[in-house]
Amino acid sequence: LGKSQCRAAVTRVEIDVFFNFHVLFVFQGKWKNKERVLVFSSRGINFRTRHLMQDLKTMMPHSKADTKMDRKDKLFVVNEVCEIKNCNKCIFFEAKKNMDLYMWVSNVPHGPSAKFLVQNVHTLAELKMTGNCLKGSRPLLSFDPKFDKEPHYALLKELFTQTFSTPQYHPKSQPFVDHVLTFTIADKRIWFRNYQIIEEDASLVEIGPRFVLNLIKIFQGSFGGPTLYENPHFQSPNMCRRLMRMEKAARQKERQMVKEIRLEKRKEVKEVLTEDVTDDVFVTPAEEKPKEVEHEAPRPSKSKKKKKLKLTELKKRTLLKRKGLR
Amino acid sequence: MADVEMETQMGLDSEEDYGELSDAELQEAFSKGLLKPGLNVPLEEPKKAVNNIEGLKMCLAEFKKNLPWVERLDLTNHPAVDVLAKIEGTLNKKQSSGEIDAEDDFQREMYFYRQAQATVLEALPKLKKLQIPTKRPDDYFAEMAKTDQHMQKVRKKLMQKQMAIEKSEKAKKLREQRKFGKKVQVEVLQKRQKAKKAMMTAVKKYQKGMTDKLDFLEGDQEGKKGSTASKSQMSKKGPNAKRKYKDQKFGFGGKKKGSKWNTKESFNDVSGFRAKTAHGKGGKKFNKGGKKNKRPGKETRRKMKARK
Repeated sequence: LGKSQCRAAVTRVEIDVFFNFHVLFVFQGKWKNKERVLVFSSRGINFRTRHLMQDLKTMMPHSKADTKMDRKDKLFVVNEVCEIKNCNKCIFFEAKKNMDLYMWVSNVPHGPSAKFLVQNVHTLAELKMTGNCLKGSRPLLSFDPKFDKEPHYALLKELFTQTFSTPQYHPKSQPFVDHVLTFTIADKRIWFRNYQIIEEDASLVEIGPRFVLNLIKIFQGSFGGPTLYENPHFQSPNMCRRLMRMEKAARQKERQMVKEIRLEKRKEVKEVLTEDVTDDVFVTPAEEKPKEVEHEAPRPSKSKKKKKLKLTELKKRTLLKRKGLR
Repeated sequence: MADVEMETQMGLDSEEDYGELSDAELQEAFSKGLLKPGLNVPLEEPKKAVNNIEGLKMCLAEFKKNLPWVERLDLTNHPAVDVLAKIEGTLNKKQSSGEIDAEDDFQREMYFYRQAQATVLEALPKLKKLQIPTKRPDDYFAEMAKTDQHMQKVRKKLMQKQMAIEKSEKAKKLREQRKFGKKVQVEVLQKRQKAKKAMMTAVKKYQKGMTDKLDFLEGDQEGKKGSTASKSQMSKKGPNAKRKYKDQKFGFGGKKKGSKWNTKESFNDVSGFRAKTAHGKGGKKFNKGGKKNKRPGKETRRKMKARK
């Protein structure tokens, strides 16, 4: 068999095996849980965000993509886009100032929606993340117990569960469960990680992507409606930058002020201290010697140094001689 | 009660309607004791973050889909116990209560890792019961989230890192060895010098007649037997004869002037005499390096032929 024939045979075998397995596992059941997530963004995103979006689409076989939305349109247009695409969940990325990335997660027709600030994005393509998983395999979701303690976190937990979990028997899904997504709350933010399950004893390797979500607000409606929760610890990135700049400015001002004060102090009229009469009591001036004016230059001091020099020179010469002889 | 209500109303409206309150009304309020003397500045109420707990709960109740666990595959759990930390005794009290220091990268990532581990340990038996496979068989080929090309790059990088570590370790070891070797060499030389000095002083003492015993000779023999083994090893590692010759010829600034003098010492010095070269018998160096394919003579060839 030639090379191409060999390859064809192999691929045919693969496809057969794949198909068989698929038939065995996937088409055994009916796909009932009709979840569809629309993943798209606004204009002005950078390469990292684009890759993150792509990664989310590979992770979630129940996702759909759409073209970039114009910034001019109001946010509730997103609801219409979702309806057209027949999706009931939406993940929308909004980039502002080429620096800040906001993410909306929403249950489209009536349900709640949440806005987050995304930070510390690392994509699948990073070489430090060495794990790999099947494309479209169903994930295990792991939540921090803190999600159960407060009502807004509980709502977010439900939202994430419905959005990120792949429905069973979805036609594009793989039948194996080989990776786990973790959501943890630390430092008042939500940290997202994706691990591959290597062994049954729970040894894991990170696949990626990874990001950190900083909750801003939760709304009752989809992309609008009354605010249910506002994060008191959230500081908009503009405020952060502003505070930093103000700090710097304050430091500069302080330095200038200190300089000015120093200059002023120097220019101040100095106080004349009152003289104490009893200061001169113990002062005894020395005897006055007659002033001698020298008209001739003094003689050079005698040569202790010269003798020394002579000795060292001799020594040097003898040493050189000896070395030269050698 | 009416007064209190008035007060609260006044308080709330003070920001917005301040400009609209007429002087007469202000005087009334002052007389009632609601306004204090002095400059009244409208205070901004501190901004309260909206936290509509009831609304949240209602929303959650409406939104929740009661799906069987198979559809969702979600678990909420504390991270698995950190076995290593327990052993080392560095188990942080904070961590066990759930507070993570987000600045300490390693600790934080380990926390996430352990949380995932706990989930996996809990979920796998459940999945087995539901007959959902978790292990991918070896002959199952399917599209992966990362391409094969990408995984090759990852492997390459890992290999490179490992190689770099190994190289640096080797270099460190070599350096250590060299230092050690140098130390040993210096020690041995010093020992030899000491022994020589002791020998000389002993000989001088005997010469001057201070000691009658000739013990130092025996002492020397004993010392020799002990040190021959190590000496032979040292001499093996010492500089080559070739190296020595070159050092002598070119080392320390090249040939010195007056290295060839016809003195008594140089006349009596026969170290440069090679007997074989002198008698013309240094055959090895002047041959072709042994004749290749030495052809036997005519007679020998004839005999060989005859034998066949």
